Amino acid sequence: MRMAVGLEVHKTRRLRVWVLCLVMVVAVVALSGMNLFSESAREGFADPAAQPWEALLLGQVMIAAMTSPVLVAVLAGRQVDIEHQGQGWFMARVAGLGPGLLCRAKAVVLGVALTFTAVAQCVLLIAAGMVAGIEVTLPITLWARYGLCLLLVDLALLGLHLWLAARVDNQLVGLGVGLLGAFYAVYALLMPTWVAYVLPWGYYAAISPVAVEGDRFVESAPVPWAFALFLCASAALFLGACRRLDRAEGGPA
Amino acid sequence: MSHVITTEGLTKAYGSRTVVDSLDLRVPEGCVYGFLGPNGSGKSTTMKMLLSLVRPSRGEVSVLGRPMNHRTRHELAALIGSLIEAPPGYGHLTGRENMAIVRRMLGLTERQVERAVATVRLRDHMDKPVRAYSLGMKQRLGIAMALAREPRLLILDEPTNGLDPAGIEEIRDLLKSLADEGVTVMVSSHLLDEVDRMASVLGILGRGRLIFQGTRGELFDRSTPDLVLETPEPERVLDLGLSAVRTHEGLRLSGLGEDETADLVRRLVHHDVPVHGLYRVRRSLEEVFMDLTGREGLS
Ligand SMILES: Nc1ncnc2c1ncn2[C@@H]1O[C@H](COP(=O)(O)OP(=O)(O)OP(=O)(O)O)[C@@H](O)[C@H]1O
Ligand SMILES: [Mg+2]
Repeated sequence: MRMAVGLEVHKTRRLRVWVLCLVMVVAVVALSGMNLFSESAREGFADPAAQPWEALLLGQVMIAAMTSPVLVAVLAGRQVDIEHQGQGWFMARVAGLGPGLLCRAKAVVLGVALTFTAVAQCVLLIAAGMVAGIEVTLPITLWARYGLCLLLVDLALLGLHLWLAARVDNQLVGLGVGLLGAFYAVYALLMPTWVAYVLPWGYYAAISPVAVEGDRFVESAPVPWAFALFLCASAALFLGACRRLDRAEGGPA
Repeated sequence: MSHVITTEGLTKAYGSRTVVDSLDLRVPEGCVYGFLGPNGSGKSTTMKMLLSLVRPSRGEVSVLGRPMNHRTRHELAALIGSLIEAPPGYGHLTGRENMAIVRRMLGLTERQVERAVATVRLRDHMDKPVRAYSLGMKQRLGIAMALAREPRLLILDEPTNGLDPAGIEEIRDLLKSLADEGVTVMVSSHLLDEVDRMASVLGILGRGRLIFQGTRGELFDRSTPDLVLETPEPERVLDLGLSAVRTHEGLRLSGLGEDETADLVRRLVHHDVPVHGLYRVRRSLEEVFMDLTGREGLS
């Protein structure tokens, strides 16, 4: 497994994984931080009742729900497509590395990239808020919990997309699924809560740490058992699918 | 002579379609074995079974004296270099980076990689992305990947596919010299011409069955060359009830063995038919191959 992960790191060269992640971070920070510089927002920077941090956080939830599914789909698609294009499945199989092992190694490498992306998003956005001059105390645990939940949902969907990309060699399929997922995630934010628990992408909405109630923001959290079940099921399905890929003959597609 | 690859009743069926049917292959050590067959005859499927990339529906494979299956394939893989269907290689990486991945994957040394690259004469192109390679360069990179582990057996699926005549010649020389060094090379093609001059043993596949296995000479002996009968009066020969095709020289008769030919001459003399010439036309190996595999090609 360590060797497989090392190989994946070498394969990411020139795939622009880091560039993609960086673009996403910038996009999320820029789009969710846009309001920071509007006059009306600035007025509430010193007023706890205006909840400027919560507003900013909800902005991130919205933009992250829109962008993360696409980022995950694109990363998984690129990292797997090289195997389809380059006869990599056979090459690895002959060397004793099954397609499932390759997928798990890809999950590790891309998981690290997604971790950096999620952390960078949160940190930079908070920094932007401070630079803009928000004086109210930062709800740091709320934000940290959101960052962690975002990462976990990213990882769960990464497994799904890696499997999909391996099984279906046309990578437009995975990208299309990712785009639809993004729509669904945003839609779930605007719909009754239960909608968020119907499809995996809904969890981007379910993990939102703030909700709007009347004209103020209140703290919110995903239903713990449902979220835990989702994560465990995703992990189990991914590992099970990888084992099946390793046992099957030939390539995964 | 010991065999590097033997198979017993090797069969693969996809659903109800049998694509490889009861093959008993015998690949002798240190030779170039030409594995021939038209498109879709099952060459790639067979080679994948030899490498245990595809599970046989029935039958046994033994490679280098050991049974080959998913349990032993990892150990045996170190001794076998292979190239299946399209040449491998990550397009976004350079040749050098691709070779580095192979080196790590197989635990090879820098020297082994360099030697393989030098053997296929790809040294000058190692810093180009593989995406920008010509088909011939990709094939050669694939062969370098297969060679790097210094295998005792090479299994190459259509390595000359898409190469120009000079490229084919180069691969041919390379494989022959490898065989001279004691490496057993099994190479497939759908064109007899491509393997004819390098293979010392041929296996011919048609619709999943092994129609012929043996040397080139044995293949020739398999078929009886046509007889050409030069005569100004072909009608009289046809009146004798012989099946023949008219040509501008006279008549062409096929399928006549030695005894039948002697009999024919006796009858011609008896009926006083003027004969200006009677000779056999050597057929090209390609024609023999086409006869065996059927001219309709695809099964
Ligand atoms: N995974 C599969 N599922 C179903 N049928 C398959 C599969 N793989 C191969 N076949 C069928 O098996 C037959 C033999 O295929 P194979 O690729 O072995 O032929 P080949 O001799 O290598 O042909 P070519 O010269 O075109 O490469 C074909 O008819 C093909 O359609
Ligand atoms: Mg083939």
